[in-house]
Amino acid sequence: MEKSIEAIWKDGFLESDALVAPKLNNLYDQKSKHIIDKFKRMFKINLIAISIGSVIILAASFLVGIPVMGVLLFLIANAIVIVNRRLQKGLLKIKLNVNSYQYIKAFDGWLQKQLTINSKMARIYYPLIFLSLVLGFWFSNDIQDIIRGPNQILMVYGIPIFWGLGVLIISGVLSYFGGVIYKWDVNIMYGNVFKKLSEILNDMEELRA
Amino acid sequence: MSSDFYTSFIVPYTSIIIKICRAYTNTQEDFEDYYQEVCLQIWKSNDKFRQESEWSTWIYQISLNVCLTLLKKRKNNVQHFVSDYLPDELTEDSYAFADESLNQLYDAIRQLSEVDRAVILLYLDEKSHKEIAEIIGTNANNIGVRVKRIKQRLKKLLDGKVN
Repeated sequence: MEKSIEAIWKDGFLESDALVAPKLNNLYDQKSKHIIDKFKRMFKINLIAISIGSVIILAASFLVGIPVMGVLLFLIANAIVIVNRRLQKGLLKIKLNVNSYQYIKAFDGWLQKQLTINSKMARIYYPLIFLSLVLGFWFSNDIQDIIRGPNQILMVYGIPIFWGLGVLIISGVLSYFGGVIYKWDVNIMYGNVFKKLSEILNDMEELRA
Repeated sequence: MSSDFYTSFIVPYTSIIIKICRAYTNTQEDFEDYYQEVCLQIWKSNDKFRQESEWSTWIYQISLNVCLTLLKKRKNNVQHFVSDYLPDELTEDSYAFADESLNQLYDAIRQLSEVDRAVILLYLDEKSHKEIAEIIGTNANNIGVRVKRIKQRLKKLLDGKVN
């Protein structure tokens, strides 16, 4: 008796060879390429965004009358971009004609170097960003009016002593925690990529062991 | 992809991926490419799984979407004079199943439209009309009629070899 379509389907898959999964030979190649390409793309977009953002802030600062802040933030942002562009060149030097493990290991090496440099820089530029904001407002007309107004700020040799002390403490804290803040910040943006990269590396190392 | 992820979340469902990839490919090479891409996409989209449906439904959805996308891409790459539906003699021997009836059924399924292939694969895997509609993104009311028509078409294609 002829079988129904349903029976052919059911019986056919009872055969032991019918559901043999193919080997995933190139999966690591594809995965690592995907992860690294994604990171490169995000990194590039991030640098472009910082550059564009710095120009917008510069223009806006002149419009709202706090040009000192705009100029300083512009300089800091572009210093970060220049350093990272140089680091980016190192990323392009990673050879593509090596196996996946070597490729991903080289990328990880580059990434760690990039994180170390940026985290050291963060200890300087986070307080500098804060100082730019403070100086920007300090030199703005509104604050100058307050200084000259009836509720005068206590000045010692032309320095607002209590304000200065507060700024100094906050800058010190930002410098001390700069590296940690940077890592936290970078994890928000690239955390997922880092996690997947680490998974691939662990997996590959497990296979090589 | 950690080996844990592959072992826990893909291996138990390989039968779904295999059955679907087989229906959208004509050669072993294509099948392996499609299978690999599906696994890769499952891993990549793992974070997007919201547990609103079962993991197996998620696997069906990704497998079908990947196969349809790859088929579309290949259609665009290959000129129109090359048919997607290769005649039996052009399919590789190594690609065939041991069960001849299953081979014939798959050959017939490959002659259906992309969507009909998806519907019948899900039906044959004993998915309810509601589940089929959920996976494909259609109305459950139309699935019954569609399945009936597809089965009639398959019977015709199989030249009365089935009842």
